[in-house]
Amino acid sequence: MNSPFRIIGKSFPRLDARGKVSGKAIYGTDFAMQGMLHGKLVHSPIASGEIISVDTSRAMAMPGVYEVVTAKDIPAQRYGSFVKDMEVFASGRVNFIGQPVAAVVARTAEEAEAAAKAVKVEYREQAAVFTTEDAVKADAPLVHPDWQEYKAVPTVKRQGNITNQARLVLGDVDKALKESYRVFTHRFVTNVVHPGYTEPRAAIAHWADGSQLHVWSNTQLPFEAQATLAEIFKITPSQVRVNVTVIGGGFGGKLRLGVEHYAAAAALKAGRPVKFVSSCEEEMTSALPRQPLTIDLTTGVTKDGKILAKAASILVDTGATSGSGVGVASSVMLMLAGPYKIPNLRLESRSVYTNKTPTGSFRAPAGPQGNFAVESQMDIIADALGIDPLEFRLRNIVREGDLAPNGQKLESVSLEECLLKAADAIGWKDRRPEPGRGKGIACAWWTTTSGSSGVYVKVGPDGQVFLNTGCAEIGTAALTGAAQVLAEALGIELGSIQIVSGDTASTPFDFGAQGSRTAFAVGNACIDAVGKLHQRMKEIAAKQFSAKAEEIEIDGGAAKFGDKLLPLKEIAAIAQTSQGGLIAHGTFIAPPTLHDKERTENMVITAINSPSFHAHAVDLSVDAETGEVKIHDYVVVQDVGRAINPTYIEGQIEGGVVQGIGQALSEEIVYENGIVRNAGLTDYKMPTAMDAPNIRSFIVESPSKVGPYGAKGVGEPPVIHPPATIANAIASAVSARVQTLPITAEKIVRTLTEVSETAK
Amino acid sequence: MTEVQLDLTVNGRRHRLSVPAHYSLLDVLRDELELTGTKTNCLEAECGVCTVVLDGKSVASCAVLAAQCQGREVTTVEGLAEGAALHPLQEAFVEFGAVQCGYCIPGMIMTAKAFLDENPRPTREAVREAIAGTLCRCTGYQKIVDAIMAASQRLSQQGERA
Amino acid sequence: MKLEFLAPQTLQDAVTMAKARGDAARFIAGGTDLVIQARKSGTWPEAVINLQQIPDLGEIKGSGQNFSLGSLVTHRQIEREGRFAGALEALRESACVIGGHQVRNVATVGGNLCNASPAADMVPILLCLNAEVALAGSEGRRVVPLASFIEGPRKTKRAHDEVMTEIAFSAPAQKFASAFLKGGRRRAMEISIVAMAGVVSVSRDGKLTDVRLAMGAAGPKAIRLTEVEKFLEGKALSKDVLEETGRLAAAAASPIDDVRASASFRRHLAGVYARRVVELSWNRISEVGNDRSAA
Ligand SMILES: Cc1cc2nc3c(=O)[nH]c(=O)nc-3n(C[C@H](O)[C@H](O)[C@H](O)COP(=O)(O)OP(=O)(O)OC[C@H]3O[C@@H](n4cnc5c(N)ncnc54)[C@H](O)[C@@H]3O)c2cc1C
Repeated sequence: MNSPFRIIGKSFPRLDARGKVSGKAIYGTDFAMQGMLHGKLVHSPIASGEIISVDTSRAMAMPGVYEVVTAKDIPAQRYGSFVKDMEVFASGRVNFIGQPVAAVVARTAEEAEAAAKAVKVEYREQAAVFTTEDAVKADAPLVHPDWQEYKAVPTVKRQGNITNQARLVLGDVDKALKESYRVFTHRFVTNVVHPGYTEPRAAIAHWADGSQLHVWSNTQLPFEAQATLAEIFKITPSQVRVNVTVIGGGFGGKLRLGVEHYAAAAALKAGRPVKFVSSCEEEMTSALPRQPLTIDLTTGVTKDGKILAKAASILVDTGATSGSGVGVASSVMLMLAGPYKIPNLRLESRSVYTNKTPTGSFRAPAGPQGNFAVESQMDIIADALGIDPLEFRLRNIVREGDLAPNGQKLESVSLEECLLKAADAIGWKDRRPEPGRGKGIACAWWTTTSGSSGVYVKVGPDGQVFLNTGCAEIGTAALTGAAQVLAEALGIELGSIQIVSGDTASTPFDFGAQGSRTAFAVGNACIDAVGKLHQRMKEIAAKQFSAKAEEIEIDGGAAKFGDKLLPLKEIAAIAQTSQGGLIAHGTFIAPPTLHDKERTENMVITAINSPSFHAHAVDLSVDAETGEVKIHDYVVVQDVGRAINPTYIEGQIEGGVVQGIGQALSEEIVYENGIVRNAGLTDYKMPTAMDAPNIRSFIVESPSKVGPYGAKGVGEPPVIHPPATIANAIASAVSARVQTLPITAEKIVRTLTEVSETAK
Repeated sequence: MTEVQLDLTVNGRRHRLSVPAHYSLLDVLRDELELTGTKTNCLEAECGVCTVVLDGKSVASCAVLAAQCQGREVTTVEGLAEGAALHPLQEAFVEFGAVQCGYCIPGMIMTAKAFLDENPRPTREAVREAIAGTLCRCTGYQKIVDAIMAASQRLSQQGERA
Repeated sequence: MKLEFLAPQTLQDAVTMAKARGDAARFIAGGTDLVIQARKSGTWPEAVINLQQIPDLGEIKGSGQNFSLGSLVTHRQIEREGRFAGALEALRESACVIGGHQVRNVATVGGNLCNASPAADMVPILLCLNAEVALAGSEGRRVVPLASFIEGPRKTKRAHDEVMTEIAFSAPAQKFASAFLKGGRRRAMEISIVAMAGVVSVSRDGKLTDVRLAMGAAGPKAIRLTEVEKFLEGKALSKDVLEETGRLAAAAASPIDDVRASASFRRHLAGVYARRVVELSWNRISEVGNDRSAA
C-alpha cells in the first residue's frame, strides 16, 4: 500500500533507546548530587488514631543523622486534587497504616533507616473502617473527622466518609425495568492493584538559597509537581523548578507527588540536597494503587436482546484520601454505560474514604473495573437469553453518530469493526473447541485526556531540530511519536530531532504524560509549531530571494522560490545571525467535547474525548482440578485513529494486556484490618515472561478529527479489557463465573465446586 | 574489623575496595563504583533489575554479598558495548522495540547474555523461562523475546564466522 | 550494623570459626535466604562464615544408583545435570522451579535444606529418595536421614557449628520413574502452595511397587505420605486407585491459611497433585531407560 507519509506509520526505534540499553540513562534512583543526604520515612503502625507525641531525641543522637522532619516543619495545610485532604506528614492524626509521620535525614540511606526506627511516636488508637460498605453507614467512624473544614472543588457533594456522590441519569429506568423481558442484577468486586513500575519513586530536592526549590524526580507531571510543591511550601510556582529524570515506568502511579515533598521538606530543614527513594514495602503499603470497586449492576433487556435500561450503584474505595478516586467514581459511569446504546440509565456512584492506602490513577482509571462489570454481565445475559455473546453485543453497540450516555455525539465509531475482527481472529465460531477450553470477548471505548500542550521547536544551524516539551517520556515512546509528527510536518528526518523534556524552568507548559494524551497533544502542538516555523522560513527565504513571503513554497523541509531552494539549516543559520535563531512556540488544546449537562449530576469527569474503540478476545484452557488458566491466544483489535509508530503501539498493547492479565488472574494487595499482608514482590504477583501469552495486535485506523494525522489516544486502553475478556472465557471453558478479581485458581475451583454442588 | 577488603574485577577493570561486610554486590556497583547502569528495586531477588553476570552466570546482585565476590569477575551492562558499537543483544533490543521505560532492560540484557552464553540457540519457550526472574511491566515481554531470539541468531552466526 | 565476614578455606576452619563464635555466627552459601531475610528483618547475625571457598562441596558425584550432591551444588547445576535426566527427572523438575536463573545460579541445595522452609522445593524429592545428609562439626562427622534432619519450620537437627557437606541418596534398584509438581499462582517465581514429589516402580505383573510420595508446603514440614504409599503398594493404576490416592493425600495434609492460599485449597491441591504425580510417574516409567531389574 502506498502511504502518503514519510515518517508517520513507520516503526522507527525510539530516540532514547541507546542510552537505555547501554545503562547510561540516568533515572531517578540513579541521580545524585554533591553534598547529598538521604531520607527515610517513619510510618504509622496504626490505621486510625491521634498522634499524642513524637519523640525524635533518640533518632537525632544516632550516627550520621542530621535532622528529623515532622509536620511541625512545614506550613500547616492540606492539598489534593478534588478535595484537599492530604498532608505531607500526619499532623494531628493518622488515617492508614504506612502513613508518613516523620522523616529522618542522614548521611547514608542506611543510617536514616536505622534512625527512622528510633523515632518514637505515641498514638491514641481509634476505631477504623476498612470497607466502603461499612464506611457509608451512618454511625461509621470518620476517616477524616474534620472533613467539613477541607476545601474542595464545587462540583463534589460530600458527607462524612463520602467524598462525592454523582449520578448519570437518562430516561425512566424504573419504568423500563418493569417493561423489560428480563432483569439481571449482579455484584462485581475488583481488586487493589499496584501500577508495578520497576523503578521506585525517587526524588532529590535542593533549596538553592532558601527560597528557590529545585527538584529532580521521576514524576510523570513536572508542572503538577511544581504547583503542588508551591502550594505545600507557600511559595509561588516559579520558585520551584522540577526536572524530570529518565523514568522507570509510571502507569499513572507517578502522576501525584511521590517522594518529592518529603525530599523538599527534608532539604529545607537540613540545608543540603536530600534524596528519597521508596522502598518496595513502601510501594506496596503507601503508594497509589488502583481503587477497588464494588459495583451492583442491574440491566433490563427485551426478549430479542436489546438493552432497555441499566441501573448501578457503585462504591469506590479511595483509601485514606480521596485523590483521583473522585474522578474514578465519575468516569466509571461512562464505562458502565458503554459502549452500548441504552435509552434509560440511572447510575449512581460514591467515592468513599477507608483507613487504607490512598489510591491513585493507575492506567485507565475506572476502565478495568467498570469493564469487568459490564462485559461480564453482557455474557451472563447473552447466555441466559440464548444469544451468542458477540451477537448480543452487536445488537447493542454504539455506531457512527449515536449519542453516548452523556449525550455526546459519537464520531469515528469503529467498534463493530473491532469486534468482528477480534472474533474472526480468535476463531469465534468455534467458541468451545474442547472440554475445558473456551473463548471470551469484551469491548470498550476510552477517552483521550484533554489539557493543553506547548512545545518550542528550535532549529540549529546544522539542521538539527530540538523538540522542547514540558511533557515527560515515561517509557511509552510517545515523545518519539510526537517527534515523528514533527518530522513529518516539518519535512525532515526523524534522526534530526533531539528531544528536551520535562523541565518546568526551560520547557513550555504541558498537561503531562497521562491519559493517553502525550503523542496526541504534544504531536498537535508540534504541528502548530511547524505552521509557525514555515511562516518564519518563508519570511527569511523571501528576504534572501528578494521575493514576497507568499511567493515562497515549503518543500521537503526547504523553502523554495521558483527553482531556487533554501534548505532549513541555511535558514536557521541566517536566523541565528540576524534574528536570534529559528524557533517557534506551538500550542494545542483539545476543543471541548459537547455533551448534555442535564444528564450528569456532580460528575467531575463528564466526557469521552476523541473516543477510541477496541475489542479483545482470548482463547484459554482451564484445568478444572487445579484452577490453573492457560492462555493459548490473545487478540487485540484497537482503533488508534492513525498508527504513528506501529511497533510502539504494539508495545503499548502487549504491555497493557499483560498488566491486565495480572489484574485478572494474579495481582492483589491483600489487606487484613488495614495491614497489607503481601508487602513485597514475593507475594504481589505480577506476570512473569512465563505467564505472558503471545499477543496478536490488529490496528484499526479510523481517524479522529482532532488528533495529529487522525491519531487517537493509545496508551491506556489495552489494560481495560483483560479481566472481562478472561472472565468470559473462563466461564465459557468451565462454567465458572467469578465476579471478584483477581480470578485466582482457588476461586475458580471453589466456584466449580459450588456449581457442581448446586447441580446435585 | 567489619569492613572487608575486596579485589573485584568489573568490566575488565580491577578494583581494590574496602566495604562493610553486609554490602551487597549491588551496593558496591552502584554506590562505591557509581556504575548505575545496574538498577535497584525490590532488593529481594524477585524483580531482576539488578542482574549482573558474575563469573559467567547471571545473579541478582542485591542478594549476593560483595564479600563473597572476592577475586571474582563481574560484567555489568556498561561492560557490553565495545566503544560505540553496541552488543548484538543491545542492538536487537533497540531494533525490535523491546525497550520502553528501560529500567528492567540492563537486568534483562544481562540475564539474556548469561543464558545465551550457555544456550546459544534457544527456543522462544526457553527464552521466556530464562527471563522469568526479571520482571518487565511495560512490554509484556513479547518484543523482548523477539529481540533475544534475533540476537541469538546473530551471535551464533558471528560465532560461526569467527 | 557490625557484620563480620569470615572466609575459611577449609572445612575444619569453618567449623572452628563457628564453634568459636557460637550462635552469633551463621554459615552462608548462596545467601539467597540469609541475605534477604537479614535485610528484610533488619537483623544481621554478628558474623557470616562463607562456605563457598571450601573445596569439594560443589560437586555432583556418583553414577548408576548412588549419588551425592555437595551441599554447595546450585539448583542450576541440578537442573542441568545429565545424570538426572530420565528416572531422576523429579530432581531437575524440583530445582528448575526455584526462583529465576539469577537465584538458581547461586542458591544451593544445602541452603535449601538447612533453611528448612516448609515450602523448600528440594525436600520432597530428596525425601522420596531417602536422602541422608552428612554434617561435619566440632564433634565430628555424622549422617542423618533427611526425614529426621528437618524438624519443623526453620528447625533442623544441625548444631550451629555443623556444616552440611553432602546429601547422599540411592536410587531404587529396580526400574523406576519420578515426578514433581508444584502449585502456585504463576508459572514461575512462586513459593509452592503445595509441592508433591513421587518415585514409583512397577512390578513385572504391572503393579505399583515401592511407591514413594512426599508433600511439601502443606504442613509445618515436608513429609512422606506413608499411608498413600502403603495403599498403593501392589495396586494396578486405576481411576478408583487414583481417587483414593488423592483422598488419602488430602487427609494427610495439615496446611495453613495464608496470603498465598487457604488451607482448604492447599488440601484440595494436595489430593490432585498426589494423583497426578503417581499417574505421571507411572506414564514415565515406560519411557525411562533404566531397566535395572532386567539387567
Ligand atoms: C526470589 C527467590 C525465589 C525463591 N524461590 C524459591 C522456591 O521457589 N523454592 C524454594 O524452595 N526456595 C526458594 N527460594 C529460597 C532459596 O533460594 C533456597 O532456599 C536456596 O536453596 C537457599 O540456598 P542458599 O545457598 O542461598 O542458602 P543461604 O541463604 O546461604 O543459607 C540458608 C540457610 O542455610 C544455612 N546454610 C546454608 N548452607 C549450609 C551448609 N552447607 N551447612 C550448614 N548450614 C548452611 C545458612 O546458615 C542459612 O541459615 C527463593 C529465594 C528467592 C530469593
